[in-house]
Amino acid sequence: MPARRARRSSLPKHAVLIALSAMFALPLIWMISSSFKTADQAIAMPVVWWPHPFLWGNYSQLFAAQPFFRYFWNTFLYAAITIVGVCVSSSLVAYGFSRLRWPGRDAVFYVMLLTLILPFVCTLIPLFVMYKRFGWTGGYLPLEVPTFFGSSVFSTFLLRQFFMTIPASLSEAARIDGANEFWIYSRVIMPLAKPALASVILFQFIYCWNDYLGPLIYISDPGKYPLSLGLAEILGTYTTNWAWVMAGATAATAPIVILFFFTQKSFIQGIALTGQKG
Amino acid sequence: MHRFSLKWRQTRMGLLFVSPWIIGFCAFYLYPFAATFYYAFTRFTGIGNPTFTGLANFSTLAHDPVFRTALFNTFYYTAIEVPLSTAAALGLALLLNMDVRGQSFYRTLFYIPSIVPVIASSMIFVWIFQPSFGIVNSLLADVHINGPAWFFSITWSKPSFILLGLWGLGQPMVIYLAALQGVPREMYEVADLEGANAWQRLRKVTIPMISPVILFNVIMSLVLSIQYFTQAQVIETPPGSPGTSTMFFVTYYYQQAFTDLHLGYASAMTFLLFILVLLITVVLLRTSRRWVHYENDPR
Repeated sequence: MPARRARRSSLPKHAVLIALSAMFALPLIWMISSSFKTADQAIAMPVVWWPHPFLWGNYSQLFAAQPFFRYFWNTFLYAAITIVGVCVSSSLVAYGFSRLRWPGRDAVFYVMLLTLILPFVCTLIPLFVMYKRFGWTGGYLPLEVPTFFGSSVFSTFLLRQFFMTIPASLSEAARIDGANEFWIYSRVIMPLAKPALASVILFQFIYCWNDYLGPLIYISDPGKYPLSLGLAEILGTYTTNWAWVMAGATAATAPIVILFFFTQKSFIQGIALTGQKG
Repeated sequence: MHRFSLKWRQTRMGLLFVSPWIIGFCAFYLYPFAATFYYAFTRFTGIGNPTFTGLANFSTLAHDPVFRTALFNTFYYTAIEVPLSTAAALGLALLLNMDVRGQSFYRTLFYIPSIVPVIASSMIFVWIFQPSFGIVNSLLADVHINGPAWFFSITWSKPSFILLGLWGLGQPMVIYLAALQGVPREMYEVADLEGANAWQRLRKVTIPMISPVILFNVIMSLVLSIQYFTQAQVIETPPGSPGTSTMFFVTYYYQQAFTDLHLGYASAMTFLLFILVLLITVVLLRTSRRWVHYENDPR
């Protein structure tokens, strides 16, 4: 829109944006502030905005009472393995849906997209029964194995959208030189797809960091808990000390927000890529 | 003969690359989906074999008041959260698209809540909406409003979850913003030449141009909100309380399937859920032909 109009009305616009910013930021500010308070100060009336004294002890006490590092480690492991699965399988499948022409391709692709609207509960019980029979329940295998079989439709879709933007002439040139498809996939397309792969890795990491339902159903041993289950336990256990609860929430949030600041571009590009129509 | 073999080679290559998904689709979607359909007509506890009971599960469902409540709560949440968050995400994107100074700062700020881990954001919201010493009620008290018990009030529990959902609208906002930035500027210049005002520009240019993106996002957020579970499960003890005001569909499903081991009954529930989601999607796609505009679309 013309800059002239933008400037004329910029004052009310900024007033609205600043008010909205305050609403969006308040919960986070309050979380961080509460995490440095004493238990009494956290629930003090009238509210105390700035912790006084500034208490780091909530974190060390909470980390001593709950195996937080174990939760982090379990989550990292879960994320790392599924990231490998997603990068390998989703990129292969996306390649087949974008860089190759074959009859029925688009029909199969739409079937894959349709699985996005299938509620997860529609397959959950037989899967649980099946994994139990395999002896996989109690561990992360039920959450990890499917990612090696293209279960992350979202990632496949994102990669496919990206592959479509790479000129067909690149593949054709390689084919004329006698390269086979797998060589083109691994030596031509994948190196070009690094930005899209970065987005896929990020989103998968966040997915695992967030995943609650999967571990809730399959993981029962507290020693194997990921962050989400560990946090939920804190909320259930320590509601007498909100400073501790908020220290837990801050500790779970900070790594993701820091990661976001370092990789902002991949985030925004990845989201924009999936927002476009196929 | 040569053409035929080329086509066959291409098909084989395509299927080879897609095969991981095809195997996964059969093992993790098709088979369990068919099995769920079968379990819906049985009594099954997970041990031994399911016993066929015909339509018994469905007739029990028809008279189950908790199931009806769960359906109502899920509809309530979906019917308010989806339109509200779509409008708000679109509104924020439009606001940010107006060449504002500090656009990327605001975009970042509005986006961050959506990457806060869902359990953490649930914790934060229970805390700020704490009835007696939460910050929200204390701010309300400053303007002499007696705040409700939010997550712990039968009337306010669902609106509280809707507010929690609205806080995390960063994802669709960024998608809409990207779509808005893809609308060619010339279209606005033409609209300006024809004397269109801001409202007409929005109605006749902006919305039609990004309507496919809106449709995709509305469908996805509908499907997600019909399966609303995690936040309610984490915040409310026991799940579904106060009263049955936060007994959502999946909350009840989880209770039936994984607490009470009524696997056949829970399967019957999901069967109905599937029909429901399918119906909603079909209706949306059908009616969308009236408001969704596809570029270069011969239709």
